[in-house]
Amino acid sequence: MSERDDAPTDDESSNPRPDGGTVTGNLEGALRDITLTKRIKWGMAFVLSLVFGYLFFQALAEVGFSVAEILYYWPEFQSALGEFFPRTSLFGVLPFVDFGSYWQFIQERNLFGAAIVTLAMGFAGTVLGIPGALLLGVLGSERVTPYPFNFIFRGTMSVIRAIPALVWALIYIPLGGVSPFTATLAIGTDTMGNLGRLFTDALEEVEDGPIEAIESTGANRRQTVVFGMLSQVFTPFIAWTMYILEINTRIAVTMGLIGGGGIGYILQTQRSLFKYTNMMATILVIFLLVVSVEFVSQRVRSYIRGEEEGLSFLKLVVEFPQRMARSLWE
Amino acid sequence: MSTIEVRNLTKTFGDVRALDDVSFTIEDGEFAVLLGQSGAGKSTLLRCLNGITKPTSGEIRINDEPVRGPRNDVAMIFQQHYVLGQLSAYGNALTGALHRTPFFRSLVGWHSRPDKMEALSALETVGLLDKADQRTRNMSGGQQQRVGIARALVQQPNLLLADEPVASLDPASAETVMGYIRSAAKERDLSTLASLHQVNLAREFGERFLALRDGELVFDGYREDLTVDIIDRIYGDVQTQDIREGTEAHA
Repeated sequence: MSERDDAPTDDESSNPRPDGGTVTGNLEGALRDITLTKRIKWGMAFVLSLVFGYLFFQALAEVGFSVAEILYYWPEFQSALGEFFPRTSLFGVLPFVDFGSYWQFIQERNLFGAAIVTLAMGFAGTVLGIPGALLLGVLGSERVTPYPFNFIFRGTMSVIRAIPALVWALIYIPLGGVSPFTATLAIGTDTMGNLGRLFTDALEEVEDGPIEAIESTGANRRQTVVFGMLSQVFTPFIAWTMYILEINTRIAVTMGLIGGGGIGYILQTQRSLFKYTNMMATILVIFLLVVSVEFVSQRVRSYIRGEEEGLSFLKLVVEFPQRMARSLWE
Repeated sequence: MSTIEVRNLTKTFGDVRALDDVSFTIEDGEFAVLLGQSGAGKSTLLRCLNGITKPTSGEIRINDEPVRGPRNDVAMIFQQHYVLGQLSAYGNALTGALHRTPFFRSLVGWHSRPDKMEALSALETVGLLDKADQRTRNMSGGQQQRVGIARALVQQPNLLLADEPVASLDPASAETVMGYIRSAAKERDLSTLASLHQVNLAREFGERFLALRDGELVFDGYREDLTVDIIDRIYGDVQTQDIREGTEAHA
């Protein structure tokens, strides 16, 4: 036996054992056990990766994925790429993307106006969904509604969530036609399910102490719920609502693709006309829209979350251009 | 303003007797301190008095009215203060007036002028009038506890209960907060029962003393009766000297 093997046994000897002689035997046994467990783990990992690989290839076959097709159509995509990014030359020498042709289309079709329509769909849908989300979310919490009954509200939210916003829009078409109005209704419905669920989750984290404190003042049940529970989750509720607003703005873009109006609709029509330059101009405006909404949402969230009382709301507004510039160039 | 009568109060949690046949009376306007080790049943007693916990047997009467649930004439100050961090000190003080404000008015913060003045006067009592507008989340532990006292005062209670009100504060803040509780009780002639585990603070602020040990009332008397022997009996085998010797032996 080498010195290295002896070292652990030396340490053990500081803790005298009655069966000192069998220490090495014990170690051998432990090593055998560990090796066995390890082998079983490796075996399981191997079987699992086989199953995973099989499922992956089945899925690829199901969707008809083929590398040959990509190669075959590559030239076509390449020419489309050329139109997506039209070339011009800077100062007559440097090749550069022709932003002028984008700008032309943006002005011609008033894409910023269309972006405002999309933003309005997302914003109005969110606001319309908030009361329902608040009601379902609060009543879905076990701490407000006793156990089996809270599942009535949780279940309602699950059903709403199980149907994607786009499908809700299809359902509402008889109500409002293929229009931004229908899309807004769909977004509002979707918000009730998603935001409500987030509200319920936030309520699980509520502490008992403040609830008890409000109860002890002799407040009634509803006052206890509002002041003891909801006041504790005020900040997370606002933060989650801002997060859902971000998501709803993106959903509002996709609503346009099925005819719901706004900027997504322009993207869809330009695609069917094979106007790839116009499509890219539209995508750029979509990018600007979504990023701005996320930017504002994140500022608001960090403002209400953070303890940074120093950064007052006024300061937030006044210093906005500065910060925007900094975040763009630095 | 009120007399508290506790008769044969017993509370069991499963096999554990948290309170065992406890009886006492607190006279009008008395400032009583509840002593005892952790787990002696102090919190349970206070929670029974407040109506948050229902006793297994026995009776509590406040001004001859039995306690059956949380009552607006019994106010409680909690160890962890449990103020709402989201609200200002003023907003928190006003939650003491919820029981006399209709739901929708309380929802939009439309309180009556007397209640608003009451909240400000309570904040003045605890020395926080100049911080009325400040969010309690950004206040120190001692200040938050004073907001908790203000909330209790706005309730306009007959009986003020305090469950280890200074246990999570540093010694200086503990002294200040106890001072505010006593002066508030004096000013408004409130009967008070506060549990404390610091014997020195208890001696400094208490007039009347009640002590629990393993759920039983082992002492009921006034300051002059609270001798060192009695304190030893309340705190049992835990003697500081033993602890000191114990640590030395290990070192």
